[in-house]
Amino acid sequence: MKATQSEFFVGYQHSAPPTLGRFLIRWVVGLLVVAIGLAVALVMAQRPFDPGVFEYGVVRDFEGILREHPVPALEVARPEGAESVSSYLLVAPGKHGAEEWVAGRNGERVRLRGTLIYRPGMAMIELLPDSLESRSDARRDNGAPQAISDVTLSGEIVDSKCYLGVMKPGRRKSHRACAVRCLSGGIPPILVVEIATGGQEQILLVDRAGGPLGPSILDYVAEPVRLSGRLSQQGEHWILATDPSDIERILPVAKEGS
Amino acid sequence: MSHAYRAVGWNRQKRLYDLATGLGVVLFLGFFVGGGLWRYPDATVETLLIRGLGTAAILLLHVILSIGPLCRLDQRFLPLLYNRRHLGVTFFLLALAHGAFSIVQFHALGDTNPLVSVLTSNGRFDSVSGFPFQPLGLAALVIFFLMAATSHDFWLANLTAPVWKALHMMVYVAYGLVLLHVALGALQSETAPFYGWLLGLGAVWVFGLQIVAGWRESRLDRGRSEALDSEGFLEVCSVAEIPDARARIVCLAEERVAVFRYGDKISAVSNVCQHQNGPLGEGRVVDGCIVCPWHGFQYDPATGTSPPPFTEKIPTFRVRVSSGRVWVHPQANPAGTRVEPAIVAEATGEAGV
Ligand code: HEM
Ligand code: FES
Repeated sequence: MKATQSEFFVGYQHSAPPTLGRFLIRWVVGLLVVAIGLAVALVMAQRPFDPGVFEYGVVRDFEGILREHPVPALEVARPEGAESVSSYLLVAPGKHGAEEWVAGRNGERVRLRGTLIYRPGMAMIELLPDSLESRSDARRDNGAPQAISDVTLSGEIVDSKCYLGVMKPGRRKSHRACAVRCLSGGIPPILVVEIATGGQEQILLVDRAGGPLGPSILDYVAEPVRLSGRLSQQGEHWILATDPSDIERILPVAKEGS
Repeated sequence: MSHAYRAVGWNRQKRLYDLATGLGVVLFLGFFVGGGLWRYPDATVETLLIRGLGTAAILLLHVILSIGPLCRLDQRFLPLLYNRRHLGVTFFLLALAHGAFSIVQFHALGDTNPLVSVLTSNGRFDSVSGFPFQPLGLAALVIFFLMAATSHDFWLANLTAPVWKALHMMVYVAYGLVLLHVALGALQSETAPFYGWLLGLGAVWVFGLQIVAGWRESRLDRGRSEALDSEGFLEVCSVAEIPDARARIVCLAEERVAVFRYGDKISAVSNVCQHQNGPLGEGRVVDGCIVCPWHGFQYDPATGTSPPPFTEKIPTFRVRVSSGRVWVHPQANPAGTRVEPAIVAEATGEAGV
């Protein structure tokens, strides 16, 4: 028996006997030090965070041509020349797509307000729905995507909004449930393909007819998949027209590095 | 039926305890979120908060689960056990904040009720690496909620001790769910092996402590002879083995019995405190009453009843002393039954019942 065990202390007493007090204080202080050490170690060991910015709280004005297909977007002329445009994907607030706002308005010149979301290679506007106003009744012909070739690609299906910057991480297992919710709400899906030389390629996914893929792909989100389809390009965007039956899971190999 | 709850007021000890708890939580979250923002400029505060709250909660859960067995191994930890309820409630609030924040972040503003979404958005029940980990966290949180909500003595009295105890043993089920929640969630997205090691180490620590503490006690239980006299009394130890005003805990007929010596008297009562099943045999006799080491409930050693106005009663056991050896009858008397203490005679150690 340790000497201090002969001191008896019941919690309701005002203060602990001195030796007992010292014993406990050493343990409590030690525990606090361990807690801080763990906090630092745990936070440092995290996988690095993706780039990507959501200008939360910042609302900007945009003017450009609406595009309805293959996914809602706004094309804004760049200052330098008439031929070059920036394409911004359009989504609604929360976990909702902007389809209902652009329906039937393909090619219409509009002015709108919204919040920018972007990462290298792709940008998006979270539309303030009430701000959408028409600038002209004329409709421009947006043309159809230019088909390139049939391809088979491996990558991960994510929702474009979170992936581009609203959530960190916006991909992988811990984000899966959220991605399902977003895709189910109409946010366009993206296939993220890792490039051997570093970085990622982002490819919009649509069905074979060029429309939304719908709930059938929800089962394949946020895990390694291989899918085949027809690759095409429209403006700055790569588009893969595919079908849920052309998606297959790849067994997770060794986890890739960051 | 009326129950008297002993008002346990605030005292310096309790304030220090809460201060240390609060300080620990604030320091942990501060270093986690602050360090994260400094180290990863691309990180978002929401993610760091969700992760910080989750990890702070699981860390505190380990502390809470360690205190019980540590006290069984070394009585000097006992003051940490008192007021453990505040640790529990702090833990619950951290876990709740983590869960609620996750539900808002990952499930709100969508096309489905967020709570339904937690349960349905990931349907990969057929996969290990893809298994939905958020419902596991939710299930754990529900258990923790039931425990936090019933942690007050009112529930202990109204649910009866065995039901209450069973409910609170569910903490190990919830702990298991949390382990799975992390192993199938964050660990599937992260690459550093450190997380997995730490989680495993935590589980080994929690279950290891329980096993060591249990093993120590069962060894103490076995260290006595099995002599049985004609009336069914069992020889449990010698008088000299019990320090004055303290007890020896023995296991008779599957029940733990505290055999107290105070002055020249010996009494045996159930080792289980009516309050929260505290180990009475680790308490003392102070001013003629057994004092429970956990929260200080008192019992008269001869009758097993709390002094008025309190009404708690514990079972007593018949005792006798002969030739310096203590004998106890393994048949428990109904709670509150008076048993004359055995008297330790000088030198010869002879005594009657
Ligand atoms: C409604 C209940 C819960 C939900 C929806 C939930 C959700 C989540 C999510 C989405 C993550 C991954 C976050 C990320 O990696 O970015 C996570 C991780 C984690 N959760 Fe929970 N959780 C719940 C309950 C709990 C409970 C009760 C605990 C108990 C301590 C807990 C402890 C943790 C820990 C330690 C992590 C790993 C650290 C982290 O990445 O956040 N969770 N949880
Ligand atoms: S268990 Fe609380 S006083 Fe005994």
